[in-house]
Amino acid sequence: MADSVSYFLMAWLDPSLLMLTAIGTLAGIYVGAIPGLSVTMATSILISFTFSWDVNDALALIVGIYTGGVYGGSRTAILLNIPGAPSSVATSFDGYPLAQKGEAGQAIGLSTVMSVIGGLIGVAVLASVAPYLSDMALQFAPRDYFLIAVLGLLLVGSLATESLSRGIFAAALGAVIGLVGLDQVTATPRFTMGSMQLMGGIHYVVVMIGMFGVAEAFFQLHQLNAKPVRQKVDKIVPSLHLVLKFLPLSIRTSVIGVIVGALPGTGGDIASLFAYDHAKRSIKKPSRPFGTGAYEGLVAPETANNAAVGGAYVPMLTLGMPGDAVTAIIIGALVIHGLNPGPMLMIEAPHIFWFTVGNLVLANIFLLIFGLTGIKVFAKVVELPKAILIPLILVLCVVGSYSLNSSMTEVYWMLGFGLLGYFMKIFRFQMGPVILGVILGPLMDKTYRQAMSSVGDDTGSFLLSLVTNPLSLVLTIAVVLLLLSNTPLKRVLLRHRQT
Amino acid sequence: MIKQILATLALSAGALTVASPALADYPERNIQGIIQWGAGGATDNVARSLTPHVEKALGTSIILNNRPGGTGVIGMNQVMQQPANGYTVLYGAENPQLYPVMDLADFDYSAMTPINVIGQGLVVIAAPADSQFDNLAELLDYAHEHPGELRMGGTGAGGLPSTVLAMINSVDSLDVRNVTFGGDGPGITALLGDHIDFMPLSLAGAQDQIAAGRLKGLAVVTKEKIEELPDTPPITQALPDIDSYLPWGPFWTVAVHEDTPDDIVTALSDAYQKGVANEEFQNFLSENGGKSLNLQGEEARQFLERWQSVTAWALQKAGSAKVSPEDVGIPKP
Amino acid sequence: MSNHPSLKAGERAFNVLLLLLSLGVLYEAYRITGFDLPNSAGAFPLMLGAIMIASMVAILWGQRRHTGPGTQGALDEARHFFSEHFPLAIIVFSAMAIGYLFLLTFLGFISATAIFLFVSQVYLRRGHLLTSSIVTAVATGIIYALFKLLFQVYLP
Repeated sequence: MADSVSYFLMAWLDPSLLMLTAIGTLAGIYVGAIPGLSVTMATSILISFTFSWDVNDALALIVGIYTGGVYGGSRTAILLNIPGAPSSVATSFDGYPLAQKGEAGQAIGLSTVMSVIGGLIGVAVLASVAPYLSDMALQFAPRDYFLIAVLGLLLVGSLATESLSRGIFAAALGAVIGLVGLDQVTATPRFTMGSMQLMGGIHYVVVMIGMFGVAEAFFQLHQLNAKPVRQKVDKIVPSLHLVLKFLPLSIRTSVIGVIVGALPGTGGDIASLFAYDHAKRSIKKPSRPFGTGAYEGLVAPETANNAAVGGAYVPMLTLGMPGDAVTAIIIGALVIHGLNPGPMLMIEAPHIFWFTVGNLVLANIFLLIFGLTGIKVFAKVVELPKAILIPLILVLCVVGSYSLNSSMTEVYWMLGFGLLGYFMKIFRFQMGPVILGVILGPLMDKTYRQAMSSVGDDTGSFLLSLVTNPLSLVLTIAVVLLLLSNTPLKRVLLRHRQT
Repeated sequence: MIKQILATLALSAGALTVASPALADYPERNIQGIIQWGAGGATDNVARSLTPHVEKALGTSIILNNRPGGTGVIGMNQVMQQPANGYTVLYGAENPQLYPVMDLADFDYSAMTPINVIGQGLVVIAAPADSQFDNLAELLDYAHEHPGELRMGGTGAGGLPSTVLAMINSVDSLDVRNVTFGGDGPGITALLGDHIDFMPLSLAGAQDQIAAGRLKGLAVVTKEKIEELPDTPPITQALPDIDSYLPWGPFWTVAVHEDTPDDIVTALSDAYQKGVANEEFQNFLSENGGKSLNLQGEEARQFLERWQSVTAWALQKAGSAKVSPEDVGIPKP
Repeated sequence: MSNHPSLKAGERAFNVLLLLLSLGVLYEAYRITGFDLPNSAGAFPLMLGAIMIASMVAILWGQRRHTGPGTQGALDEARHFFSEHFPLAIIVFSAMAIGYLFLLTFLGFISATAIFLFVSQVYLRRGHLLTSSIVTAVATGIIYALFKLLFQVYLP
């Protein structure tokens, strides 16, 4: 016990570890904020500085970048409607309208505090029940991942505020975009039109940057001469009253985040969408209607994606299995430093566990400090004349999509999706469901086929397996309830009753 | 604000010092490393343990990215699509050598320039810790009585599990359901959760889990017991006839675009040779049941060709090659 | 419901185009593995194609009684569409964006970005040469420092 405490406090007491965590968090915030610069990339570059260092130094730096990076994506989502990373897509739904109402500062302030709360809840879960959570995560069979993907796709119902058929169309289109390329199972080309370039698929960040960033920039050109919204920059730190008011919601969405994050195969992007949906469903009287600047719509995804960080560490520390790309890099770092990241890590090197936990807490404290400083300057970005802002957004989109693969192909695609997104926006299609489809379509395809193979390609046994296993049954019931509650079925039923 | 600027400056200075020895010539920026299998598997483990030593020798960062899918075709294809300037390298496993016979793609490693054949590994057939089978013979008995019922974790046609299955099927019969995962990593996770019954795995990916008692080794694909897994019988115990294919195992290699200029190939080869020779990496390999090869240039090519001809003809004999090796110009061993 | 909302100019045409796209998706999905169900590379894409067609048909069906955009003939509607959604500023800016992409490959990142930022700002702001050049210089510098030096991203 005393050992655990001393490892927990290690990063707090050692000035160089303290400094590294701080630098990592700060760098992470900016990396995360820039679309195209991913946390994965930043971690792998910075880790190369750390070969000769002590393993703790390397881990401290990564923990900082990871925590900062997941949070940073919300900055551009709120200010420019360009999510810095897929896990911030849901943040833009209400964050950007807030900035348009002159509350960018408050939105960033709130998202910072909430990210920290989510992050801390994630760490608390990691510290207290990691072994149990990882055992639970292992229980998820392919059919359960399939059900999760179905659940996710049903979120279309709450993302598509305009019309459900438009939402479904957009989600299906997104899924098709996500499936482009060689099939993961049989290497059959799908939707590649014989092009070698397309065999590797279309990077979903390209779709995201194009449909959110470029399409939005084009839209803004219409209001070139509109006076920019004056930003209120007093009261940036949310009041205790406000934080307490959202605490029950943030605890629920953090739990969603940490569980989804702990499943190897799903992460912060899916977690934040689930959380947004949960908020929309459970909060009857939001501060404003969802999609027009509801604080609840900002709180939910921001807590969830930061809680997912703690979740992602669960399978890594308990089983040696990476929960996502960043934890895969951490495993690599441990190997380089002679540690054996596997199921024995908790027993052979318990200090790594407590050091990581302590470090994550520390990184969240730095996140609070760095996140709340300089907001006034950032909020002013929205006040820039559109004529200056729009060219800058376009350059950012170009650099972001180029740096994904160091090739111009992605940039052309990005511009193409921007144009498509502009047209779709004109005719009241929404972008959220498209991204949902791009993220969940491939997951659904893969897990459906794994589940089918597991039961010998027999549709009957497949359907049976969805209700005969306790976990699957719970998920199936959730799917059915969701279907009944928010999709056309309910409306159709109600309409029939009315006529 | 001042703090932020200072931090940025400090980091830039760090970046510059690392990059400076290389500014004069190749490499003048960081390199992308594409791993053709998913995170947490053997290829991934090898790539991530080796790369830091290579980075040191090369004086730049290598950013590793997993691009799994289609038995590695997606990752390899991506590297082949990039400009031939040495800034994209492929971390591959043995699978590309089987693409032509499995009709997965019309290219193999001969369409690239090999930089280094890192090493060769061993295969273990693993099952969940609470599996009803203690060895391969028991599993085979069950499968004979209940054909098409056991769930085997696979990694796609031409993947290591399907190759091992083909070898078994050429001397015995094993009719299973093939559940495809993005690599060893997700497959091990599914084994741990009891969602599949067994999976042939690279020892480098599975050894820790077996040692920790979370997985059970049913057989190692060798002629004799190995010291890493003293309790696991060799496959020849259950299937003596499989002897003719052994020794057999997966390998890991690094390759670049075939038109890459010679001086860049030389620079990379030198760096990778140093990296593989590094003592720490050698320890990693031997601890994980791998044998170091560290082959470059012509030697690497010969190794790749020999492996291809042996395995492709074995698959042909087992009747699981979709295209005869003869038709795609693979000579008999 | 007595008064149906009127359609936007070009809305029906766009939806029909999307329907054609959906049919294309279904055809491409069919070409993957044919109707080899239930577990093949093509099964899920086929389903997606069907969903796209169904939802688009539902959208078009729902709009069947909506009044038109109040334009005379297809040509007028097209003109209306372009004047509404593609005013001169957007067309010129798009042309600049495309020009920027071409310049990137020829001039390299710094000069192309600087030229694009400067020209487009001067155009969009109708002047302001001084502030535009300052913004251009600062923005190009920051992006260059961040990407090239700090994260060693290769820029064209």
